[in-house]
Amino acid sequence: MLELERVSRHFGGVRAVDGLDLKVRDGEIVGLIGPNGSGKSTTVNLVTGLFSLTSGQIRFRGQDIAPLPTHMRLQGGIARTFQNIRLFGQLTVWQNLWVAQNSPADRAKRGFFSRWLGGQSGVRDEIVSLLEFSGLAHKQDELASNLAFGEQRRLELARAMATKPKLLLLDEPAAGMNSEEIGQLRERILKLRERGLTILLVEHVMELVMGVTDRIAVLNFGQKIAEGTPAEIQKDAAVRKAYLGGDAAAAEGGS
Amino acid sequence: MFDFIQAVLDGILFGTIYSLIGIGFTLVFGVMHKINMAYAAASIGAAYIGLVSASAMKAASAWVVFGCSLVAGGVLGFLVYLICFHLIPLRNENATLMSTVGMLLLADELISHATTGAPQNYPATLEDVMFRFGEMSMRGDLVVVFGVSVVCTAALLLLLYRTRLGLATRAVAQQPIAAQLCGMRVAQVNTLTFVITGVLGGIAGALICSAVGSLSILLTGPLTVKGLIVTVIGGLGSVPGAIVAGLLVGGLENVFQHFRGVTERDMYVMLLLFAFLIFRPGGIFAKGQGRD
Repeated sequence: MLELERVSRHFGGVRAVDGLDLKVRDGEIVGLIGPNGSGKSTTVNLVTGLFSLTSGQIRFRGQDIAPLPTHMRLQGGIARTFQNIRLFGQLTVWQNLWVAQNSPADRAKRGFFSRWLGGQSGVRDEIVSLLEFSGLAHKQDELASNLAFGEQRRLELARAMATKPKLLLLDEPAAGMNSEEIGQLRERILKLRERGLTILLVEHVMELVMGVTDRIAVLNFGQKIAEGTPAEIQKDAAVRKAYLGGDAAAAEGGS
Repeated sequence: MFDFIQAVLDGILFGTIYSLIGIGFTLVFGVMHKINMAYAAASIGAAYIGLVSASAMKAASAWVVFGCSLVAGGVLGFLVYLICFHLIPLRNENATLMSTVGMLLLADELISHATTGAPQNYPATLEDVMFRFGEMSMRGDLVVVFGVSVVCTAALLLLLYRTRLGLATRAVAQQPIAAQLCGMRVAQVNTLTFVITGVLGGIAGALICSAVGSLSILLTGPLTVKGLIVTVIGGLGSVPGAIVAGLLVGGLENVFQHFRGVTERDMYVMLLLFAFLIFRPGGIFAKGQGRD
């Protein structure tokens, strides 16, 4: 589904991402973890086209997507959520989902008038089911900015779904959530996989990452330092060192 | 007392034009976070092209002139976008400010060259018609100004708040990056914003010339200034703010004129601007006070 090959992005002298190889196969949930500043968010931004590559290649379903502008990547089937929520605050919950229905299939369904001017028929059922999926059905006419934090996160996920993606990038979806909400999020992510989505999950909250992913890649200083199943990653010495610091890992190893 | 109410009433009727111009400035700012300084000049330019093309068609009726100005406004809006925004790297904040100031001066020059600096007669809509209500009266052409402006504003609000296109425009204004990731094309939305505001500008320009009775190069400067004042008072990027601020500036302007005469009028309007900048820098509808 998604292949990153020797991908680098430098900001001046800083190598935010440095020679990263990463493969996400169809239907997989892959976790991308690492300490702050290790290049996780930069990687997501590279895949969605917000940053351009310094070097390397990104292929999505076999096609090199590096030259495509952001909105074209979406049409190919990539969607994402943001670490700091970016909803259309002055639009209602319903409208947030409505304007996001821009997949080629949705566009083809719309005639000239409904494309520009309205006509909600045909897309209504989908919005209703997305609202139910995210538990926001009773809030459909609220402005997005008036929602509680957890609801905003759910709406952002629903909005990403409204674009009918094949690959979903989740950038720290559990940030600021309590453990009950994290449990619900896990259920939701697993349901998305059942629907056939491929997911790349960037996350700090280990409770979530260890619980849902098939495979985890660990970044540090822009480079991949480990990759494996959640169980393997939990035991990996290099990962412990990156997270706990050299001395702590040594002390722990010594005891 | 009746004189005073009469002044306020006339001012508010005329103020709807300021609202239209303010909406044009504020919409572009809302979507692109850039000021289009050439807007008012392009609007008068559109009114001139409308006048010329209507006379070329031997149809000098005010309504034909309005229609031609509307189309010319849309075309000029597109040209301004193309020349001042699309072809100029947006990364530099000041580049587009300079390019639109340049366009303002160029439009000024073009109009004054084409008209050889002389005021052009502009057809009136309802000449010498007065609506009377007891002591009060309303100039017919001002009522037309009011009616046309209200219809245009209502159409724009419908577009922005009820249609997919309008919602996409507002989505791009609120979260450009997320909007792109939802498949919206920012360049397309920007272009449409300029065409739509251009159309509004063409209508507003024709309305002003028609209410004044002539088209002159002397209109562009004051109209630019009034438009910017309305935009600031309404709050940059706020369409409802621009509507109310236009009426406010129009009404107060006439009151100042009523009490202090036409020579002092604009001084007080400027003071009003500073009062807002100091006490309500976020505009009429800003939530709380604050400069952010």
